[in-house]
Amino acid sequence: MRLSSIVRAWDSFFFEPTSPVPIALFRIAYGGLVIATLLLLWPDWLTWYGPHAWVSLSTMHQVEPGTRLNIFAVIPQNDNWVEGLFWVFVGSAVSLTIGLLTRLNNLIVFLCLTSIQQRNLFITHGGDTFLRLAGFFLIFAPAGAAVSVDRLIRIRRGKEDAAVVRPRSPWAQRMIQIQLALLYFAAFCSKAEGAPWVQGTALFYVYHLDELRRFPVPSWFLQPTVLKLGTWAALALEFSLGVLIWIKDFRYYLLALGVLFHLFLEYSLNIPLFEWDVLAAYILFVDAADIERAWNWIHHPRIAGGKLLLTKPFPST
Amino acid sequence: MRPRRRKTPSTSGGPSVQPAQSFPQRNRAAWLTTARRAAISGFLIFHILGVTCWCIPVTSPLVLAGRSFIRPYFLWAGLFQSWDTFSPSPKAINSYVEAIVLYQDGHTKIWAFPRMERLSLTQRYFKERYRKFVENLKEDTNSALWPDAARFIARLNNNGPSPVIKVFLVRYWSNIVPRADDPYTPGPWDAHVFYAYVVEPQDLK
Repeated sequence: MRLSSIVRAWDSFFFEPTSPVPIALFRIAYGGLVIATLLLLWPDWLTWYGPHAWVSLSTMHQVEPGTRLNIFAVIPQNDNWVEGLFWVFVGSAVSLTIGLLTRLNNLIVFLCLTSIQQRNLFITHGGDTFLRLAGFFLIFAPAGAAVSVDRLIRIRRGKEDAAVVRPRSPWAQRMIQIQLALLYFAAFCSKAEGAPWVQGTALFYVYHLDELRRFPVPSWFLQPTVLKLGTWAALALEFSLGVLIWIKDFRYYLLALGVLFHLFLEYSLNIPLFEWDVLAAYILFVDAADIERAWNWIHHPRIAGGKLLLTKPFPST
Repeated sequence: MRPRRRKTPSTSGGPSVQPAQSFPQRNRAAWLTTARRAAISGFLIFHILGVTCWCIPVTSPLVLAGRSFIRPYFLWAGLFQSWDTFSPSPKAINSYVEAIVLYQDGHTKIWAFPRMERLSLTQRYFKERYRKFVENLKEDTNSALWPDAARFIARLNNNGPSPVIKVFLVRYWSNIVPRADDPYTPGPWDAHVFYAYVVEPQDLK
């Protein structure tokens, strides 16, 4: 292998222009999940983040010291300011979802999301963390280049062709993909260090935690042998989604297994939104040409309307 | 239909077009593209290595050095992360936390954090943060949270004629024991008062 071939592969992976449709669809899913997170928090905005919250700002600074991006540290500590910040957050999340002033709203959403997590790190779960990380890289992505109000405005003003979406450099999209793969790989590595995962008893404990139980699972699933196989299958799948996902021949099979895995967890375990936060990023692994095909298959009679926002086949991702 | 651009400059008074870029201009554009790509590549390499160092549970000196190097930036930018749910070992106990609230006139009241297994499906979505909070609150490593939590509970329950004077936080737990030959039966519950807080009058404001 020569250095020049590594550089070419790097350039091709991160910089070869590709369709912005997958990242635009991810933007919509991402915005929707941020809105859902905010709505679920809504009754308790002040309970968790107000001046008299469960954890005070000063305690948070004491427990998690250091300079951090945290709007709460600079706004006056009263109910109106805290609620005002949340309404700005909601407004920006809605604008981001529809793709209005996309980059600006992306930045605001990231700042607000980071701030609420920094304000109280003791109530965040993995899904929140993934939204924060994906939000950081999304700021750099051409997330408003397709399926957005921004694009409609540009078309109306004659700055863009309605029939063609210009391919863009996908490096920010690649970073979110890498982040997702690292999530799975790190989860695999952490689990592989634990005896219950190696011995196959881990799922027994998970499925006997009262607080996590959601809908009933069939009794055969709780048999020791099945739980053992399930434990190892979960490990194998996390490894595959972290490593083998980069091999194109395996990708769609692994994504399908990943969807089934997360839907089963969503059904059986009470970890609100985590599964959806992760599943949203699967869109980024789907070829734009396949998204186009699926769109046309679903909306065949209205294909002309579809062209307004999507377009003819793109270079494959 | 999109207007076509002329490839050569017009000299016949037709619509003006941009002249072709001169050699130095082309060179400059190529240089800018290369410089931009180099800068982005630097950003990418830094972040890929940083995120990998941060989240992969490896304790080699090189990785630890990398982690401490990027730590201030990762904490500031919100790029810190850990993916250790249910690992290295899932919890082997069911547990919950309650508070005993003592009033000045001597009577007591039990106040319980919302317990997911006792809530409806919709309520669980809205109260999930309590599950996560209690999961952290009951750990001894998070004892810095206990005074704030006790004050919050005192304020929440200070709605009678007699003021709250003390709050006790109680941890309850029951071991989950796997049995190969038997269906699972929950173990007995144990309890432990892990924190007592004397409420000051200003805490109730």
